[in-house]
Amino acid sequence: MTTLRQATEAFVAVYHARPRLVADLADWSLRIELRIAGGGEAVAVRIDHGRVVAIEDPPGAGRADLVVTAAASVLLEVLALRMSPNEPYLFGELLVDGPEAAFLRLDYLVTALCPE
Amino acid sequence: MSGVSGEASDGAPPGWALLSCSSGTAVASVCIFGVFDLQALVGGVWSVAAVVMAGLLCQLLARRVARLYAVCPSGAGLIAQISRALGRSAALIAVLPYLLLTLCLVGAESALCGLVLAQVLPIPAPLGSLLFLGATWALCRRGVRLGQVAQAVCTGALFIGLIGLATALMIDTASRGLLLARLSAPTPSFAALAAATGQALFLFMGFELVTFQAGGRAPQRVGAVLGLSVALLTGFYAAVALGIACLPVAFERGVLAAPQMLLAGHGGGKVAMVAIGAVSLLASYTSFNGALLALSRLAAALSAQGLLPRALARVEPRSQVPRRALDALLVVSVAATAIVLTSGAILPPILAAAAAAAAMYAAAALARERPPFREDHRGRARRGLGMVFAGGLVVLGIGAVLDAPSLRDLIAAVSLLALAYAGALALARRAARRRSHG
Repeated sequence: MTTLRQATEAFVAVYHARPRLVADLADWSLRIELRIAGGGEAVAVRIDHGRVVAIEDPPGAGRADLVVTAAASVLLEVLALRMSPNEPYLFGELLVDGPEAAFLRLDYLVTALCPE
Repeated sequence: MSGVSGEASDGAPPGWALLSCSSGTAVASVCIFGVFDLQALVGGVWSVAAVVMAGLLCQLLARRVARLYAVCPSGAGLIAQISRALGRSAALIAVLPYLLLTLCLVGAESALCGLVLAQVLPIPAPLGSLLFLGATWALCRRGVRLGQVAQAVCTGALFIGLIGLATALMIDTASRGLLLARLSAPTPSFAALAAATGQALFLFMGFELVTFQAGGRAPQRVGAVLGLSVALLTGFYAAVALGIACLPVAFERGVLAAPQMLLAGHGGGKVAMVAIGAVSLLASYTSFNGALLALSRLAAALSAQGLLPRALARVEPRSQVPRRALDALLVVSVAATAIVLTSGAILPPILAAAAAAAAMYAAAALARERPPFREDHRGRARRGLGMVFAGGLVVLGIGAVLDAPSLRDLIAAVSLLALAYAGALALARRAARRRSHG
């Protein structure tokens, strides 16, 4: 199992332990790909009505709705809830390919999970 | 070029939508005022020369911004790219003053919108300003954004309307044999022309925000749109400058007035005034809406990092809008509008914004000459020229401020700049301390 997948699974467990937040995002269904910059590891997360229904490692065929690319250290910091994705995004250390609204929702989700 | 007219199969907005966003964000009532002020500064055809020179500089800049976006395709814009090349602190110091002074420009913009509304509706100008601010803020707070088609229609109507009026004025002036007399003006000093060019840079402010709209996609199309947008804006402002030069009025710097209504009044009468009033309000709305959304998101992101009060970071889950940050921005905008309306000092925010824009564009030009944006094969001479270009932008920005028409305007513009840079410096230091503490 890759480090990225482990971190993603841990993140999903924390998220699913917050049913109100999952319910808040019940109208959210999409496929998000997380990529380590420079052709490193990648995983895809499939979300259906706010719940994560699959983690693909490596990502399967088919276009992701949102692709998030960053250095391993940045992605792992975000998945460990030590940083919101918006911070590295603002400073060009995390790149997003996809609709801004989807990224804003992802940032909302992570920020809601981050300890104050 | 094919990317500009082609279908957007890559998920990014099509070329025409990006073009209308880029040029529509740059054009607002305060820009038309800026063209009017150029007429008072250098006069006649020289104001057109200042616009064209600023346009040429922005064309060079557009190529650099396109390179930055191709290497770092971030929807966050220049702050992301400057940060990659020069570091986070430098990016904050380069970009934050520009954004903070945008809020001061919003004060000038809503004051002008109040004047426009007062000319077409039986209401006083301050009430018109408040109505404009309140309505734009309320729509923004609900997450309402103008659609691509609506934005393109607004921008197109404003461009066609004002260029049409300017052309009508020129034809009328020519038919009376006065065109040469109106366009000819004493040759300005080199310093005055440079100051006018520096001030004209502010007319293009916002053209680079197309990278927000593209959302990290379609770098080739974005590159083409950046160049096209600058060319379009240069043509538009040059036409408006020619039209304004033909107006039979005395030009005085820094007087609070809505020149697009003056143009409409002379070029087409009451119907034209109502039509131009409506499209210029829509253009102001799109500019203010874009500024509010971008600034509120930045304020929320900085708050989430603990650099601003954490309460501003809260995002409303349904609309995905940081409502508290928007509320704070409304308070600042109302205060800026009140200052402009009570003091009548509309020029200081324009001059300060011109200088901050020039400095940020200079930082972007510098970033282009550093890794990861500099190509390995880029020679010393081209890098040197890039540095000279960046330095030239800074000098032009400073020149625009120093050429303020009165000591009061000069002190006010310098104070605004000092406040904006002090604020940015404080935030950059705080961010650096926070990072060094892990």
